[in-house]
Amino acid sequence: MLSIKNLHASVEDKQILKGLDLEIKPGEVHAIMGPNGAGKSTMGYVLSGREGYSVEEGSVTLDGTDLLELEAEERARAGLFLAFQYPVEIPGVSNLEFLKAAVDAQREARGEEAVSSKDFLKMAREACKQVHLPAEFLKRGVNEGFSGGEKKRNEIMQMLLLQPKLCILDESDSGLDIDALQVVAEGVNSQRSPDRSFVVVTHYQRLLDYIKPDYVHVLSEGKIVKSGDASLAQELEDQGYAWLKEQRAADAEQSA
Amino acid sequence: MSSWLQTAVERAADVSDGLALKRQASLELLCDAKWPTRKTEAWKYVPINVWERAELSGATNDTVSAPVIDGLDSLDVVFVNGQLQSVAAESIEGLTLISLSDAGAQAADLFGTIKPDRHLFGLVNDVLATEGVVIDVAAGAEIEKPIRIVNLLGEGAEAHTRVLVRLGAGAKATVIEHYSGNSLSRNTGFAEYQVGEKAQLEHYRFALQTGEAMSIGGCHVELAEHSELNSTLVGFGSALSRIDVDVTHAGSHAFAKMNAIYLLDGKELFDLHSTIEHAVPNGTTEENVRGIVADNSRAVFNGRIHIHRDAQKTLAELNNRNLLLSDRAEINTKPELEIYADDVRCAHGATVAEIDQKALYYMQSRGVSRAQAQVMLNFGFINELVDQMPNEALAEWLRPQLRERFASMEVK
Repeated sequence: MLSIKNLHASVEDKQILKGLDLEIKPGEVHAIMGPNGAGKSTMGYVLSGREGYSVEEGSVTLDGTDLLELEAEERARAGLFLAFQYPVEIPGVSNLEFLKAAVDAQREARGEEAVSSKDFLKMAREACKQVHLPAEFLKRGVNEGFSGGEKKRNEIMQMLLLQPKLCILDESDSGLDIDALQVVAEGVNSQRSPDRSFVVVTHYQRLLDYIKPDYVHVLSEGKIVKSGDASLAQELEDQGYAWLKEQRAADAEQSA
Repeated sequence: MSSWLQTAVERAADVSDGLALKRQASLELLCDAKWPTRKTEAWKYVPINVWERAELSGATNDTVSAPVIDGLDSLDVVFVNGQLQSVAAESIEGLTLISLSDAGAQAADLFGTIKPDRHLFGLVNDVLATEGVVIDVAAGAEIEKPIRIVNLLGEGAEAHTRVLVRLGAGAKATVIEHYSGNSLSRNTGFAEYQVGEKAQLEHYRFALQTGEAMSIGGCHVELAEHSELNSTLVGFGSALSRIDVDVTHAGSHAFAKMNAIYLLDGKELFDLHSTIEHAVPNGTTEENVRGIVADNSRAVFNGRIHIHRDAQKTLAELNNRNLLLSDRAEINTKPELEIYADDVRCAHGATVAEIDQKALYYMQSRGVSRAQAQVMLNFGFINELVDQMPNEALAEWLRPQLRERFASMEVK
């Protein structure tokens, strides 16, 4: 589904991604862990098409479509969704109006029929319920005055409505208490299906207790340095990244 | 003296009606008045020469129907090219709604009593406005139907109209001033509002002239004790569009809420000067002005709040926020607080910002096109004030017009 090959990207002339490779098949959940500054958030921004990030080398395809050629909105319409680490507040634009515009735009791009306002309201209320947000949040400005946890749940609510193919969750667990964490995880788990894939970016193994990944990767200094199954997350949690560095140094010595 | 002003003074000599004494006084002031130049502070950013230079062919007096506002059941007074076309005939207890020329003594009572003499074009209106309307609401009367004064300006028109409003003690009324036109024309429209004790005025001024339609006007309000003003002003710019708003707290405990919006595109100009006089204690003013300025347009906002020595316990807030959509667009904003009392709470501020790129990206990342996201962001910025309009039918009527205007405004 998603294929990232040898991706090199920078922001403000600073090289962040230095040869990232990642292959994700339909239905898989991949967790990406790694120390601060490894390039985890940059990966999400580059994939979603944020301005100011330039790609020097490599390729990214989603179901064979070259993502890097597309505008941010076209990537979303192609089925990419990024749950932001820091969702943006937009006073004056209601959550409902924003979501309707997003769903309308995506359906139109896919040649699907528009949803009536009445049906959409029903869908949106249902999505709110699923992430434990009161329906009043639909009337409020997008993320305006929402608490950290409410913002994260609002991201998942958007994901429920947009039904993307590939979801990137950028530290959707940061700043959440255990209850909110479960709500987020349940939202994600409810969407797991054989034709939808997830990239879960996190610092902590805790989230992965709720969202069980098929693969865990460690991103460090702009590339994947180690991959494994769910047990790798536990090892990282127990031993930290220093252990990983030592091991890599040892490996390098051996091969030398 | 400018040649245009000279002609105006000459034309004024032919005006003769029950307001002759007042007109004469203004004429004398006008004869001594100086035509503004680039050095005149109050006109610094206005290319006043376009007003003078325009050669108008004179308008044909077609019958035009007033634009319908869905869901608004209003009492309409319609002027076409400055000529009175119709006055709502419905008789409502406590309301006198009558043309200026038929008003007689009522007009003389109200004419020129609230509008300050410092406004040059107010004086022009004094001597030339033979058409207008008088709205007199008896003490205690609550007029449910909004009164709408429509001014339609067509190609070649020169129009001078006057609105005189009095709300008796405890009276309640809604007055909508609705200006529209987009071809070459000149218009002065001045309105005076006397708001009695405990009276409540809901006021709208839709200055929707665009294109070549030039307009200089004013809204002048005097608030008696415990009275309330809730005013919304919406301006689209044009070749020259200028409004002076004066609100005087003449009685204590009065409350003035004033929202203003301007949306400019192309080479349009909009200039809003507001002056709030707190002459007595315990008055409250909340003034919020928001503008979006695109392409090569220019906005001017000058907001002055003057708190006199006796006006203790005044609460006054003035805020002007602007969104700049192009690097060729221009905003000249100057909030001024002048405080001579020592026990007051006042705040003022002005900001000029560019569109929030983070918000744009966020919306795009959900599949909304960049162009639509811009429209939604702009609309949101303005809609916060539209949402505060007490009349829902007017808000509903306004929103699609704003959206349409936003759709043509590009971020460059």
